[in-house]
Amino acid sequence: MPRNQRILLVVAAIVVAVIAFVIAQPGDDDDEGQSAGNTPAQTESQATTNDEAEATETETEPSPPPEPEVNRIRIRGGSVAGGAKDIEVTRGDTVVIVVSSDAPDDIHLHGYDIEKEVAPGRPARFRFKANAEGAFEIESHVAEDAGRDPLVARLVVQPS
Amino acid sequence: MSLIAHGLVARSDLPIPEWLFGWAAAMVLVVSFVALAVLWPQPRLEREHWRPLPGGVGRVLGSRPVEILCGAVGVVLLGVVVYAGLRGTQSPTANFAPTFIYVIFWLGLVPASVLLGDVYKAFNPWRAIGRAVGWTAGRVARADLPAPLTYPDRLGHWPAAAGVFAFAVMELVVSNGDRPENLAIATLIYSALTFVAMALYGVETWIDRGDPYSVYFNLFSRLSPIETRDQVVGLRRPLSGLAALKPGPGTVPLLAVMIGSVTFDGASEAPIWTGIAPDIASFFQDVGVSPQRALELTFFVGLTGTIVLIYCFYRLGVVGAKSVGGGFTTGRLARAFVHSLVPIALAYVAAHYFTLLLFQGQGLSFLASDPLGDGSDLFGTADSQIDYTLIGANATWYWQVAFVVAGHVVALTLAHDRALALYDQAKLAVRSQYWMLAVMVGFTSLALWLLSQANA
Repeated sequence: MPRNQRILLVVAAIVVAVIAFVIAQPGDDDDEGQSAGNTPAQTESQATTNDEAEATETETEPSPPPEPEVNRIRIRGGSVAGGAKDIEVTRGDTVVIVVSSDAPDDIHLHGYDIEKEVAPGRPARFRFKANAEGAFEIESHVAEDAGRDPLVARLVVQPS
Repeated sequence: MSLIAHGLVARSDLPIPEWLFGWAAAMVLVVSFVALAVLWPQPRLEREHWRPLPGGVGRVLGSRPVEILCGAVGVVLLGVVVYAGLRGTQSPTANFAPTFIYVIFWLGLVPASVLLGDVYKAFNPWRAIGRAVGWTAGRVARADLPAPLTYPDRLGHWPAAAGVFAFAVMELVVSNGDRPENLAIATLIYSALTFVAMALYGVETWIDRGDPYSVYFNLFSRLSPIETRDQVVGLRRPLSGLAALKPGPGTVPLLAVMIGSVTFDGASEAPIWTGIAPDIASFFQDVGVSPQRALELTFFVGLTGTIVLIYCFYRLGVVGAKSVGGGFTTGRLARAFVHSLVPIALAYVAAHYFTLLLFQGQGLSFLASDPLGDGSDLFGTADSQIDYTLIGANATWYWQVAFVVAGHVVALTLAHDRALALYDQAKLAVRSQYWMLAVMVGFTSLALWLLSQANA
């Protein structure tokens, strides 16, 4: 294959790659140019979320931001009621997690490195701004020391 | 539960989004066919081309004083790791030893080797001690030491494959594998074995051919354009270091261990493994094994099984390549193309562990000041913390996909060049390439799939 033809092929492949990337990528909310390339399904779902977001925004605009949803976790008899679940949030959200237990325990949110004591009748209340993306484990130190599965829940922070 | 992910590491990556998975998989195919069309028609990487770094820099960097200094740094670090492991706090995150061994040594030396060449050889404390002992013994005896045994050819890379497998077992299977004391003891056992082997076969021979970590980091350093020859640091043609690799018995298993252990670490977070693991564990418990041992055995089965699958997949591709003719045995072909698996192994390690290195590596800052976890503050950095906002999920995904696709391209290039050198008929070279291409696409798709499955 002649040299020019090879270069042409490589350039064509790069163009295809870039176009495919732009088409596949779901558009950013603040970037209007890219949303044109969305597949219908994605555009639709995004439009709904945008509408919803706008709707909540207009409703609550005069008052301070709404109280964040409270994620409740109950530990009974050394295990999590309903099993360890994922707490899904978006970066920038204020997260509230309340852990109650029928036995004294230390609850540790890794990464954000927040550790709180919990006792019967005295739940541990975590309140923080989710500014680091990724999956972080929330563990019981008592379960860990006893050699049981320490996982209480996972905090999953998605990019905004 | 992969134990490094539980004890030592506080954060894990989010799975790559579906659209990026689809795009990357499509790109792998586009890249593959474009590569087949545009890559050179004559082998280019087999020829040697090395020249020293200009201005005497290469001579200084490779000189004896620099070598002794690097070796001394390595020996001090080895001492700190063992002492901290035995005498320090037994909390994995507050002790210097686990983070240093699993993050700085095992992961950090990979990019260092790829960028700067075989730096581990310079800092290797066991090599430094071995050479110092040999030199002293020669002085004391005032005569030449007895010549070491010849390294048996049939050992090849088997000791390296076994050693890297043992490390993976410590990291992914043993439930207290991140406990500082256990790591210190493992380090001492490894040291004893290494010194015995060095005494038998000679320091440099064992380092070059048998020692697991030296062979492991040397494989990655072959991607680097920097190479030291006769105590002079110089530059070589990119990728020619891998083309010059001399595979032997055990080289293919070594690469299977390298790729398979990362695959298993990724898959052990995925539903495919979390679905079947309890069944295997309960089988072991039924035959009378304690719950903790049953879990370890389960992970051992998973790790070993994954490595065997990776090995068989590569052999399958080689059997296909053999079928095009040319008169080579499968063993000969498997070794001829094994160097092209090194960039694949690198892509697996990079995509799977680079955020771990980026975040947990920051722990070195406070651990260096307080290696024993007893509240000391040697360098005034004991209160520093890991910044988990250093890189976001989006940037992480793009880097992961970039590593995987780049590894794929390099692997294809190496396999293509080797095929041209191996077959005397161009037609056979091209046809053998379809098989190797299928192997590469398989490994690359597996890597992408694992990224999309992480913590799913």
